[in-house]
Amino acid sequence: MMICENCKERPASVILTRESMGEAIELQLCEKCAFQAQTLHVDPNQEPLSIQQFLSHWFGGAELFQAQQPQEAAHQGSECPTCGLTFLKFLDVGKFGCATCYDTFRGQLPRVLGKLHNGHAMHKGKIPVSFNKIYAVKKKIEAIRVKMQEAVEAERFEEAAALRDEANALKVRLADGGGESHVD
Amino acid sequence: MSIENFMQNAVTGWMAAHGEHSDIVMSTRIRLARNLRSYRFPIAFTEEESMAVDSAVSGALLDSEGGTYSYMKMADLPALERHVLVEKHLISPQLANPDRPGSVILSEDETVSVMVNEEDHIRIQCIYPGLQLKGAYKQADAVDDVLEKELSYAFDEDFGYLTSCPSNTGSGMRASVMMHLPALTMTKQINRIIPAISRLGIVVRGSYGEGSEAPGNVYQVSNQTTLGKTEQEILADLGNITERLIAHERKSRELLLAKSRIALENRLFRSLGTITYARLLPSSEAARCLSDVRLGIDLDIIHDVDMSILNELLIFMQPGFLQQYADGELTQEEMDICRAKLFRERLNVERASASSEGTEER
Ligand SMILES: [Zn+2]
Ligand SMILES: [Zn+2]
Repeated sequence: MMICENCKERPASVILTRESMGEAIELQLCEKCAFQAQTLHVDPNQEPLSIQQFLSHWFGGAELFQAQQPQEAAHQGSECPTCGLTFLKFLDVGKFGCATCYDTFRGQLPRVLGKLHNGHAMHKGKIPVSFNKIYAVKKKIEAIRVKMQEAVEAERFEEAAALRDEANALKVRLADGGGESHVD
Repeated sequence: MSIENFMQNAVTGWMAAHGEHSDIVMSTRIRLARNLRSYRFPIAFTEEESMAVDSAVSGALLDSEGGTYSYMKMADLPALERHVLVEKHLISPQLANPDRPGSVILSEDETVSVMVNEEDHIRIQCIYPGLQLKGAYKQADAVDDVLEKELSYAFDEDFGYLTSCPSNTGSGMRASVMMHLPALTMTKQINRIIPAISRLGIVVRGSYGEGSEAPGNVYQVSNQTTLGKTEQEILADLGNITERLIAHERKSRELLLAKSRIALENRLFRSLGTITYARLLPSSEAARCLSDVRLGIDLDIIHDVDMSILNELLIFMQPGFLQQYADGELTQEEMDICRAKLFRERLNVERASASSEGTEER
């Protein structure tokens, strides 16, 4: 296994080519050092296809992304205030540096996440109870409404009525500033 | 060390051959990726942050579930022990690197392992024998709840659980089943099935890493996407595909038996002969023969070998275990010799005890 040329500690998993005095130099780096490197270009021939190559294949590399998206040029410079990652660097390394990155690149993320997740860019699953109880209740009401709609369309009216009552009870709890009781 | 004692110490929960469809599905694994809100992800964090994450996570789990979990820092573990943890599938090769600030929290029966400071701050992993997607998820979910009570997770209303890699964003859940698919492989149908399945958001790969070749015809089938579906929907989709693969495999086995029984029996018994008597056993040959013998048992062609022994041998034939068994470093050739010895001992112990219970055979 190749060892990272920069830290000489971790295994190298990203090949970067960098211009130096008119010559292209290849660097074999670990993800951490690649993350910190300034100008990056991922070798598309590197095997196996990793997440960073996937991204650069889909977007034709960071340069192409820049060329195709002039209207997003303003975002290119925005740097994550917590970890220093830029969107171009993210496309090359394929990893976020911290939770704040998601806020920093919020505008571009639906496109990236959609490519990786069969067109989906919105979370539908588990929500930490501690995260926001009110938010959890709202999501639960949304889910009940979807089920209610299905029940109506299938003419299962009794079930639809029960679901409506359930949704209303939750709404009352929301109005009470509640959401205190457990939501599953 | 006697072979029985060695095996007793080394066997872990999921190697037992039980659980639903355990003839074809060897194990089920659920992995949840989580991060703490207030620290940068491992790719970007400082040593101080890494230590703070480590003590927060281990504190939360050990305090609430004290006694049932043990905590190990990678940097404190000898290389061989880290290697063995990887071969038991309890930690990732990435975590095993002692230069990283990683640690693992293991439940007593080893069905739960929580990796700290791998690619994400927290990776909860549950492995169960056979096909048990719901059971394994239930346990992982419970561990997640315990941690969540103490820790503030990085979570977003739109994107869900925030992870280091965008391919895990959302549920952070990777569910996978390890399947033994020899008939689909022999009849080359697997090559058509893999691309078809990938269109459904499910990936199939060889069980030991990313490569497509599958030693021992063992494949890992897992969900590719983590956004836009609930955990239950992801599990249901994966369960569906798994059941369909099982049905396909069973059908192909029947076809093989009907069309070329003698050729098949010849191959399976030769493989049994090889693992029972070989003096040099390279790992690729060992994996192929184990697959054949396993198929022989499933098809009711081979009777005097226990299935759970095959699961164990598939794990114990790897370099870390062999060196632990031999109690020292081994060259490639010594490894092949040691592997052959371990197989002979394990299979003969089992056969001796099986025949002593029944009528005398020897
Ligand atoms: Zn490095
Ligand atoms: Zn950041």
